[in-house]
Amino acid sequence: MNATAVIAVEGVSRSFGEVHAVRDASFEVHAGSVTALIGPNGSGKTTLLLMLATLLRPDAGSIRIAGHDPVADPRAVRSAMGWMPDVLGSWGSISVRRTLEITGRLYERGAAASRERAQQLIELVGLEPQAEQPTRVLSRGQKQRLSLARALVHEPSVLLLDEPASGLDPAARVELRTLVRRLAGEGVAVLVSSHVLAELDEMADAAVYLDHGVTASAERVERSRAQARDWRIRAIDGSQLEAALVRLGLAGASTDHLGTSVSVAGEREAAELLARLVSEGVAILAFGPAVGDLEHTFLDLARGDVAGADPAPASTEGSER
Amino acid sequence: MSRYLDTLGTIVLLELRQRIRSVAWVVLVSVVFVLVGIVTLLLWASLAAFGNDISQSAGIYSTVIFFVLLVGTLVTPAISGAAINGDREAGTLATTQVTLASASQIVLAKFLAAWTVALTFLAASLPALLFTLIAGGVRGDTLAASLGVLVLELGVVAAIGVGLSGLISRPLFSVVTTYLVVAALSIGTLIAFTLGGLAFQSQQTQTYIGVDYSVGGEFDPVTGLPEEIVCLEPDTYTYPVPRFDYVWGILAANPYIVLADAAPTTFDRDGYPQDLFGQFAIGVRSAQLAPDLDSVVDECAAALAGDINTAYEFETPQQVFERTVPSWFVGLMIHLALAIAAMGGAIARTRTPAGSLPTGSRIA
Repeated sequence: MNATAVIAVEGVSRSFGEVHAVRDASFEVHAGSVTALIGPNGSGKTTLLLMLATLLRPDAGSIRIAGHDPVADPRAVRSAMGWMPDVLGSWGSISVRRTLEITGRLYERGAAASRERAQQLIELVGLEPQAEQPTRVLSRGQKQRLSLARALVHEPSVLLLDEPASGLDPAARVELRTLVRRLAGEGVAVLVSSHVLAELDEMADAAVYLDHGVTASAERVERSRAQARDWRIRAIDGSQLEAALVRLGLAGASTDHLGTSVSVAGEREAAELLARLVSEGVAILAFGPAVGDLEHTFLDLARGDVAGADPAPASTEGSER
Repeated sequence: MSRYLDTLGTIVLLELRQRIRSVAWVVLVSVVFVLVGIVTLLLWASLAAFGNDISQSAGIYSTVIFFVLLVGTLVTPAISGAAINGDREAGTLATTQVTLASASQIVLAKFLAAWTVALTFLAASLPALLFTLIAGGVRGDTLAASLGVLVLELGVVAAIGVGLSGLISRPLFSVVTTYLVVAALSIGTLIAFTLGGLAFQSQQTQTYIGVDYSVGGEFDPVTGLPEEIVCLEPDTYTYPVPRFDYVWGILAANPYIVLADAAPTTFDRDGYPQDLFGQFAIGVRSAQLAPDLDSVVDECAAALAGDINTAYEFETPQQVFERTVPSWFVGLMIHLALAIAAMGGAIARTRTPAGSLPTGSRIA
């Protein structure tokens, strides 16, 4: 990708007393792309996002958002950046519409412009029926939409979404995905953190893996991706499939209600396997990776961490394979 | 500058909308309105019995003002003491911090809103105050000074509450700490003053020279003195006296004393204050006077001069007022300094990107 890096993070760390929430984070997010920020609970995702959102000062390292340093010039960053926190706070006795208008005013927009933008956003996130209701009566999913709308009030070029999909029903998730893709299509750089990896798989162009406060290097991610992974095969006749697999020398496949899982080295090998199964006369119904790309890489990186108990990344990489 | 005020105003309105629409506020203001009304009517009924119409309204006015100060200092910590950390707990502080609103705008706006809400309690007692004003007897300068100091004192409590809510991470603790500060100023100063005065004691020697009533013949029916006055031997007593004149400055920091001392008092013909302001203020004023450590009461000499009562020096409160210094501006300065320090601390603590966080707190 040749696009410019709108978010550039280099060697950032932040600790709270003895707790090192983020140790060494480096990554880039480009204009017009959606980047997933992936990591287990407590890996430092929220802390990292708070630093990007100009709320927390990094102990070390540099951050550039839309070309500005959040520590030196938070105002410039704030006018370019929209942040949707993982905590759903709202002014309880204020209506949805007023909330968005007030937020617009706080971004130093005029009264008329704020009103107009509030109406646009209410339509955009589908909160028309609740527009005049105080926000305390909103459901979790509706608050989530309000929070997203609030992050978009000043038409930011950088969007930071912390767990945006949690609490949303499937239909709302699809809407969120469509909306995020549309914003990226308009040139916004989006960074999304989530646990729901399948969700991110369909939304993100790129991914940043964060574990114990350290972002995984591009090479490590590449290597994890290239590693053998499980493919799930479903055939009309399960026993026929198993027999064919044994003939092809692929013993050790496990079968559950979803199908048979086989470990395959890479995509090319997977394609070959499919061709040979078909030529063996097996009636295949479904053939695909058992888990999504992100989940596979994420799990593999997490496994790599367990295998190399030594915390220094260099030695962990050396001990792999 | 106008952009700064624009944002400030937006947050003030937001805060007021959040608080004034609450049922609790409506109930509290109604309770204050009714209470002040009852106090005024009861005072009116009881003071009317004395038949002194001037002291009536001045007395009622000053009592109502003190009552509003009491209610205001009791309610304002609850309004202001969780302004910032309460928002942090509700998750609405960070979403305001990421906008273009600065820390000083957020903290100042919360203070202005809390002050405004505190003043609504004063507004609720305005009907009662107007009633006393219509009756006459309240001097214009007394009115201006007492209302001005009351408004400022409510602002001080609001500022301390908002400031502490920015400095302390838990809302409950900051509200309680605000109450403790108010209590320290209102009651703590009285305790410190009393204990301090008792701690510094001096020996007072009093010499008494009386008239020997057992000799000298018949008593004069008018003066009650014998025809021939014979002096007794001087009697000397020594006893410890507390030195309140060393510690009177502590009282200056008491908000009730500040209010009382700032409001000009009306004295009656005998030099006694007619309102509660004067009666409170005389406490701090007379504490300024050092006790006479070597006093002589010579009744005999006074009797020889014709009037035994001249042996006793007596000053009216008005005379005490005239030869002591007002202290209210010192107290007010201390309060304003406290308020400004608390607000400054809160602004520094609310500034983002944050360097350090209060332990156990979450930034969002």
